[in-house]
Amino acid sequence: MSTLRNINVWEKMDKWFLVLYLMLVVMGFSTVYSAGIGEGSESLFDWQTDHGKQFYWILISLFMGLIILLLEGSFIRNISYIVYGVVLFLLIAVLFMPAIKGAHSWFKIGSFTIQPAEFAKVAASLAFARYLSKTGVKIENFSTKRNVFLLLVIPMILIILEPDPGTGLVFLSFIFVMYREGLSGNILIMGLFALIIGVLSVYVASFETVEINNQHYYEMVKSDPELFTKTLEKYGSLAMDELYSKTIFTADEIPEIARPSSFFSNNYWFVIVLLLFSGVGFVIVRTFVLPRYRAKYYPTLIWGTLMAIVFILIINWSYDRVFQDRHRTRFQIQFGLKEDRLGDGYNIYQALSAIGSGEVVGKGYMDGTLSNNKYKHVPEQSTDFIFCSWAEERGFIGSLVLVVVYTFFLLRAIIIAERQRSIFTRIFAYCVSSILFFHFMINLGMVIGLAPVIGIPLPFFSKGGSAILGFSALVFILLRLDAERKDVLR
Amino acid sequence: MDPYQNRRWVIILSIIAVSIVMVVRLLYLQVLDDKWADRSEEITHSEKSLKPSRGLIYDRNGVLLVEASQVYDIYVTPDKIGETDTTELCKIFDLTREEFDKKLEKASNYASYKASIFIEGMHKDDYAKISYILPELDGFYEERNTQRGYPEHIAAHVLGYIGIISKEEYDADRNSEEPYYTMNDYIGKSGIELVYEKELRGKRGKVSYLKDRLGNEKEDLYSRSAKAGENLYTTLDVELQKYGELLMHNKVGCIVAIEPSTGEILSMVSAPFYDPELFVGRDFGKKYAKINQEDSLGLKPLINKGIYNDTYRPGSIFKLVQALVGMEEGVIQHNTAFACNKALIGCHNHPSPTSVSIAIQHSCNPYFYQVFKKLIQRGDDPSIFKDSRLGIEKWAAAVKSFGLGVKLETDIPGVKSGLIPDANFYDNEFPSKDKPYGKHSWAFSTIYSNSIGEGEIGVSPLQMANLAAIIANRGFYYTPHLVRKVGENGEKRDIYQKRNYTVVSPEHFEPVVNAMEQVVLNGTAKRAQIEGISVCGKTGTVENKAENINDHSVFIAFAPKDDPKIAVAVYVEYGTWGGTWAAPIASLMIERYLNGQLSEKGKAKEDRVTSTSILYKNQKFK
Repeated sequence: MSTLRNINVWEKMDKWFLVLYLMLVVMGFSTVYSAGIGEGSESLFDWQTDHGKQFYWILISLFMGLIILLLEGSFIRNISYIVYGVVLFLLIAVLFMPAIKGAHSWFKIGSFTIQPAEFAKVAASLAFARYLSKTGVKIENFSTKRNVFLLLVIPMILIILEPDPGTGLVFLSFIFVMYREGLSGNILIMGLFALIIGVLSVYVASFETVEINNQHYYEMVKSDPELFTKTLEKYGSLAMDELYSKTIFTADEIPEIARPSSFFSNNYWFVIVLLLFSGVGFVIVRTFVLPRYRAKYYPTLIWGTLMAIVFILIINWSYDRVFQDRHRTRFQIQFGLKEDRLGDGYNIYQALSAIGSGEVVGKGYMDGTLSNNKYKHVPEQSTDFIFCSWAEERGFIGSLVLVVVYTFFLLRAIIIAERQRSIFTRIFAYCVSSILFFHFMINLGMVIGLAPVIGIPLPFFSKGGSAILGFSALVFILLRLDAERKDVLR
Repeated sequence: MDPYQNRRWVIILSIIAVSIVMVVRLLYLQVLDDKWADRSEEITHSEKSLKPSRGLIYDRNGVLLVEASQVYDIYVTPDKIGETDTTELCKIFDLTREEFDKKLEKASNYASYKASIFIEGMHKDDYAKISYILPELDGFYEERNTQRGYPEHIAAHVLGYIGIISKEEYDADRNSEEPYYTMNDYIGKSGIELVYEKELRGKRGKVSYLKDRLGNEKEDLYSRSAKAGENLYTTLDVELQKYGELLMHNKVGCIVAIEPSTGEILSMVSAPFYDPELFVGRDFGKKYAKINQEDSLGLKPLINKGIYNDTYRPGSIFKLVQALVGMEEGVIQHNTAFACNKALIGCHNHPSPTSVSIAIQHSCNPYFYQVFKKLIQRGDDPSIFKDSRLGIEKWAAAVKSFGLGVKLETDIPGVKSGLIPDANFYDNEFPSKDKPYGKHSWAFSTIYSNSIGEGEIGVSPLQMANLAAIIANRGFYYTPHLVRKVGENGEKRDIYQKRNYTVVSPEHFEPVVNAMEQVVLNGTAKRAQIEGISVCGKTGTVENKAENINDHSVFIAFAPKDDPKIAVAVYVEYGTWGGTWAAPIASLMIERYLNGQLSEKGKAKEDRVTSTSILYKNQKFK
């Protein structure tokens, strides 16, 4: 009987999704090959090289995919909790492994390393889908929320303990799935607002600090001829006024002076703007909302405004008192208020240079001058920063292709999700799409300077055996589940 | 059935929105914003220049004066120094801990992220010992360089020296049309090293390459090899120069010898002198300071007195010019007689001068007082003040045609013009610039001491030698110069192939030449006689009015009389009479140059000269 079904699997499988997956894998491997070439062997089958290892991992992933396609959907569903339990055990066990690069994230077997956190995403998705698809479980209930929270937060904390905060953050992506399954939109909106207000107030505080310190440095340079010549020597013949307006000083050059920290500090005008907005809100409510509904809006407005102000104050206080110079410098670099080409801003500066210099058509495959293995100007160019290699060698056209293929791939998963009768499959499909979307957004955002530097890989591109194995598992499980969509009732 | 199914659109739109933001940002980064291409080049591209070897310098007979040997400069970038043990580094570079720290601190002070010089001029044998380990030391690298060597150890003032480019020189070069130098380059600092810097330095080569994260050279993109500098063929005669330095040892003064038929400078000795090797290689600054210290004794070892000391008064040798100008202007004939009237100006006892020749032979002061008076006050104007003004203008113009009071275009830096006073000078600058006498308030009586080469006249030894060459040529000179050609196939500069005529007609020179012959045979310069060679000369004794200070000894000469091969000027400070030291030194130079060896009499003269030291103002000697 199972043989019969397996013939059906090939026929009923979503070819689009499979093709997009294979495209990403091929694009990814070609990039790993280019970024890693020149280590002595150009052979694909050499165990010793990075690209050789990656090639074997891809073969292993495809073989595993084949096996997954042979499994029955109900079997996968049934072992969800078991898989979750096993992975949880591995996540605990790995904490007792010797540290590699300062983190207890890997099991080392010969020259291969296994990273259980990559499989935790699969396990959590399965368990999450299994739990939420149970009859009678409604996300609106508090107990459901609590259980889902525990289900996700336990692996997340274990991973953060390794420490691997980047991978831990990936579990936030389940919020999208919960939203789709009925989580109140207000929570998402509040989160979004908090994010915007938080980013803005950190930005304002950073901006203020940079201004003060530039002014301070400007005065220092003016009164100290030696510093003046030193600065001129380092920055060429920039005029003094230009020196002031340019934010090119590194942290150690401008010893940060204490920011005048009042209650509102520098964010007072931000608070005023906020009050103005809520004032406008009042006027709008008074003008356009019928009197009987007004009572519902006023408290929301007042509480919202108050909470926002408190939030700003907390952030403001943390910026001054909790964070240290090096953190503040990170913020300043992130917002483009400061460039620190040799210090904290090094990674991102090199990455942007590699990407930016690709221009329209790129420098040509294997002809990158920054991200090529021969030169290694981009740190982590085979792993977290692999997009630099792709973008430098294929230019904007290549970047566009990558983003478009990725977007189609993510959307295809959602299309698959929405045609399911099985809630388990639908939720699992959303998990696949959300996890990959989160990786895509944060990784790409990081290398192009839009998101903070958080070390998570670009799926199917970044070098790493466990990662490709884990992401492939997500894809093939979804393919198998989808193939039997007509055969299951729910 | 599914109340939330429309929420898919929120998620779908979020994904699309994020993708659009990504694409827009990438479009900006990769297509619209051009600066990243430059920035990436800044990261990946590097250039290094290939230094050409500096041209060599030869004497007139092809003897090597200045060589260029390969040495290695070690550079350090303090920021890049890896974790190598400092004690280990000290051992490699053969330095003590203090020396190492001091050098590193100096480099850090310059710029810790840039390479600066760590060890200068390492000999190639020393370099060979560390060359295998150097590439493994982070932050250190070597650069090949040329170092000067002076096999003959002579003519330091003329050859000059090279040194690392100074801030001022570097800035000036940056502002020029074709900037050439980098911060650690060597450049000619003085002498012909400076004048012929462009020719000697050659053309720099260049390699631009791709580098990796650690700055290692990975792939050459472009390269152009360096072109070596041109060799210089100078007019100096090694043997004569060396001999001049031997004679001037322990004396203060100068010898300039010129070949009259070409204007080529055969030798230029400025005493005291130093071994040019002294300024080579390490510790340049220290050595420079040490030699400069001798300055405090007033010996000025770094100055080339031959061209730079133009405040030397010529003394009696100037009478030759007065005689020639007087005859040309018609104020005297060659047989004009003046009584030796000591009431006008002091003189010594000698037969009465019945002609110009006899006056020169005996160096009669009153005679030339009267010649000068006739030149200055010609009676063109009833007012003696106006008359003197007219007279001195004509006189000064004539004298300047002898290359006196004008800057000779000799190819060595620092040539000075000397001073031939004219009307303007006495109007505005005499006795001082602040309080001049003013126009029409001076006359011949104010300036008469110029008649015998005292007074305000200033002449450099080069000009004195050139004067001898003019008389040897009977009326013209080639601008004295030091370089015959640049490169094997070079040609002499045009300005050195042009004859410069004086205003005096050739026929007036014969009586003067005859008189100069008599000066040596029967006059004040008997010590300048050479067996078998007819030497023509004129002594000068430059007064030092202060008590207890010896006069300066001056002598100019050329020989042989009828086919002059060499013209010499010798100036011995505090050497008393012209005949005492300057004349014998000049004759030794001539004899050595023309005969290649000395006669018995010559050797005796040489012993007398070399065994005497004349360094101090009031030194008494035999």
